[in-house]
Amino acid sequence: MSFILLAPEILLTVLALAVILIGLLVSDKSKNMIGYVSAIGLAASLVMILGKTGEGSFFYNAIVVDPLSQIFKIIFLVVSLLAVIASIQYFKDNRNQDEYYALILLATVGMMVVASANDLLSLFVGFELASMSTYVLAGFEKKNPASLEAALKYFIIGSLSSALMLFGMSLVYGVSGSTNIPEILAYFKTAQVSGIDVLAMVFLVAGFGFKMALVPFHMWAPDTYEGSPSVVSSLLAAGSKKMGFVAAFRVLVLALVAVRADIQIVFAILAVITMTYGNVVAISQKSIKRMLAYSSIAQAGYIALAFVVMTQMSIAGGVLLALGHALMKGGAFIAVAVVGYMVLSDNKNAKNTDDISNFAGLGKRAPITALSLFVFFLALAGIPPSAGFIGKFVLFYSVTIEAVSTASTWLLVIVIIAILNSALSIYYYARVIRYMYVLPPEGEKIHEPLPYVIALLLAVIGTIGIGLYPEPVINMAMNAASVLGVR
Amino acid sequence: MTAYISLMIAISLIGALIAFLTKTRQQARVVALVSSGISLLISLIMLSRFDPSVTGIQLDEIHSWIPSLGITLSFGVDGIGMPLVLLSCIVIPLTVIFAWGETKEANKFYGLILLELVGVLGVFTSLDFFVFYIFWEIVLIPMFFLISIWGGPRKDYAAIKFFIYTHIASLVMLLAIFALYFNAWQITGSPDFNMFHLLKNYSLLEGWLITNVITIKDAIFIGLLFGFIVKMPAVPFHTWLPDAHVEAPTAGSVILAALLLKMGGYGLFRVIVPLLPFSDSPGKMITLMAIIGVLSILYGTFLALAQRDLKKMVAYSSISHMGYVTLGAAALVPLSVSGAMFQQFSHGLITCVLFMSCGVIQHSAGTRIIGDLGGIAKHMPKLTFVMLAGFLASLGLPGMSGFIAELLVLLNSYANLPTFVILALFGIVFTAGYHLWAMQRAVFGTFNEKLGHIHDGANYEIASMAVLVLLIIFFGLYPNPVLNMMTATATPLVRDAAGLLGVIV
Repeated sequence: MSFILLAPEILLTVLALAVILIGLLVSDKSKNMIGYVSAIGLAASLVMILGKTGEGSFFYNAIVVDPLSQIFKIIFLVVSLLAVIASIQYFKDNRNQDEYYALILLATVGMMVVASANDLLSLFVGFELASMSTYVLAGFEKKNPASLEAALKYFIIGSLSSALMLFGMSLVYGVSGSTNIPEILAYFKTAQVSGIDVLAMVFLVAGFGFKMALVPFHMWAPDTYEGSPSVVSSLLAAGSKKMGFVAAFRVLVLALVAVRADIQIVFAILAVITMTYGNVVAISQKSIKRMLAYSSIAQAGYIALAFVVMTQMSIAGGVLLALGHALMKGGAFIAVAVVGYMVLSDNKNAKNTDDISNFAGLGKRAPITALSLFVFFLALAGIPPSAGFIGKFVLFYSVTIEAVSTASTWLLVIVIIAILNSALSIYYYARVIRYMYVLPPEGEKIHEPLPYVIALLLAVIGTIGIGLYPEPVINMAMNAASVLGVR
Repeated sequence: MTAYISLMIAISLIGALIAFLTKTRQQARVVALVSSGISLLISLIMLSRFDPSVTGIQLDEIHSWIPSLGITLSFGVDGIGMPLVLLSCIVIPLTVIFAWGETKEANKFYGLILLELVGVLGVFTSLDFFVFYIFWEIVLIPMFFLISIWGGPRKDYAAIKFFIYTHIASLVMLLAIFALYFNAWQITGSPDFNMFHLLKNYSLLEGWLITNVITIKDAIFIGLLFGFIVKMPAVPFHTWLPDAHVEAPTAGSVILAALLLKMGGYGLFRVIVPLLPFSDSPGKMITLMAIIGVLSILYGTFLALAQRDLKKMVAYSSISHMGYVTLGAAALVPLSVSGAMFQQFSHGLITCVLFMSCGVIQHSAGTRIIGDLGGIAKHMPKLTFVMLAGFLASLGLPGMSGFIAELLVLLNSYANLPTFVILALFGIVFTAGYHLWAMQRAVFGTFNEKLGHIHDGANYEIASMAVLVLLIIFFGLYPNPVLNMMTATATPLVRDAAGLLGVIV
């Protein structure tokens, strides 16, 4: 048993503690370098994960390293890396930035633990570590009432969802006598189904549903994403939301066995409502961050289709879309941060910097940002060749296969609804694109700060790169899905 | 293995990127002209290497892309694709020359025009259904911007309507492609997106999609057909077209009508005709297509007759002319199908002249409303000359390319679809009517003094239109260079289809 496979987590944990320590020792002025240190640490972890192949289980099988955990760790690290690079500019000269970076690193570790969790307890610990850190991050602009509201709402709803999840877990433990996921699975394969199992699943679905922001568990998301600092929104929407998915992938296979597939109907309804609601409400938003929040709810609805059919390919599609969404949505929120920077450089006291009117003529004022946002929007709408298209393609396609091979009309109807939704989403993306490129600019061209540009370009390269050369990523996702042992 | 096609697409793409990066208008338009000129040159080399007597795909090339999903970058042309590649490579340089005077954000303008060329070339040459779909979608984006940046007063509405309408149609088509792909995978045991492979395996599908309502085969067929006829567009899915045309800048309208509409027709020949005999109710499908075709011819004509705006009239005339393509394809007679293909080619040339005329008039007189014009011939003699030639070609004057195309379609479709052809014939009278009536009111007669001082079209505008008119006359007198390759491809295509259906060939 070699702990080298856990090196990325260990590195980040040590780094987080070191960052807090350094923050105490250095002067406020030299705190700006902490951002660079954190970025290097995250990049190093990412390289380690990409470079190191191998599987293993640790701590009495509570933590596993397998293809599924690794691809989600890549997602989390990419999102955190983008957010940290952008934060170098966003929180420049902030005297509390040491704490900020420590929290981001800890949140990342928490998410990575969730990705690797093979035991309900390690899962819960990972969830709480990530959630606690992000509660604070959401409220990091402590003089901004919107940020405080965001954090409070996120905290209360998050705690509720943790409680629901924990209650579900305790029921599962009570029935099966174990907290280890494979052991629980083994138990359910032989046991009779009882009412308690169903209740446990309901609590688990609700608990994960909050994290994934599926309708009707979504109401915290728009307020939180809108109020949080844009770079934190990027982390929340693109990263921490995916925690719910990886946990659900691991745990709900169990549900599949335990309550014999009835849960699929529940997810079908949740998925359809979520995507439709997200897209319809996104249309009328004036705040771009809110629009992105609703679009991210809609995307969660698409990803939830993976639970509806639960085949290897559909889960691979869900993973691919999660990866694509991490890049696109993470990048989009960073672009909003640039617009905020631009508006504030015009007028120090500007409010609502993410209002759509501030995007007028962005193509002229901040060409790199506008072009990046253009790419992210088209990718989110599923226009090829982009990561968003590949994800949607594999996902919708897997559902179509299932529909045709089981001759089930309702699955086909769901695919058609999903595709129409994806067409609908173009409307609100195109609206912003129109603002950026068609309307005249309301100010001078600005100098786009380098950290933002780097973060945006990395996300653009990732988004288009996966679209142009998806083969390795598709293989990774298929491997990841094979871990779950579904068809 | 050759690489003409990928070279052509790559050069257009690089040209587009360079055009975006240029600083001055002069640089942008020179880049656009040179890049599209090279594409024209390559297409002419392709034409010289193309053997019209061979029926299959020629000049093909294949590069691997995503092996796990069976997706390859494969390109090639036959008698369906080659004329349209040639058309694209003729129209784009001429559009660049016509729009030589564009001043607003010239680098983006010319870059987007080149991107359109990338998209249509990809659609007309892709042999992989996945890659075909990607190019099919790529075409939308530059057109959205061409309309929404350089468009008229209602450009926002028109651009969004165009985008969403055609995108939904593409998605329906995508679903049908998925189904074909999955079916072929199940049968052969390996994923492969090759277009012919998917089409070949269509016949093995069976079962109901919704029991006793629609079979899977029919649903796939209708899904694909829907994707194509919305693009053409055919009545009743045509409503996006007049809006898009009226608001689009002249160059945008030209590309939209001359090339984008042809994508739908291309899909009919490439996909729909080979599938037709294998659908579960081929008779009904043929009738459906024939109804759509005739409806488009007649309805388009009558709407054109009623328009006050010259450009809107031309837009409706496009719908009417594209109706011949659907009708000819549905008739399943070799010469009706090759006539329909020729109609695509010919309409692509003619409609450019018409939209360019509208653009020149709008620019010079400040209005396109037919009633507000009048007698402009005196002040715009050069324009009047080429415009008249274009209008006569459009109404089907013998000696021009449109006549041959429509004659072939009507004459040969009669064998299988007599009723529909007789109905379509009524359209011809009114087609002549609205063209001549519009010319008479807008161009001839007494000069409307309210128009003030108007000047003739610029030399580069007239020159590009004149080249088109010469081509129209050339292909009207000597259609063989393209018609031969169309017939060579259409004959076996139709023989296979019609043979299975037992209809007269």
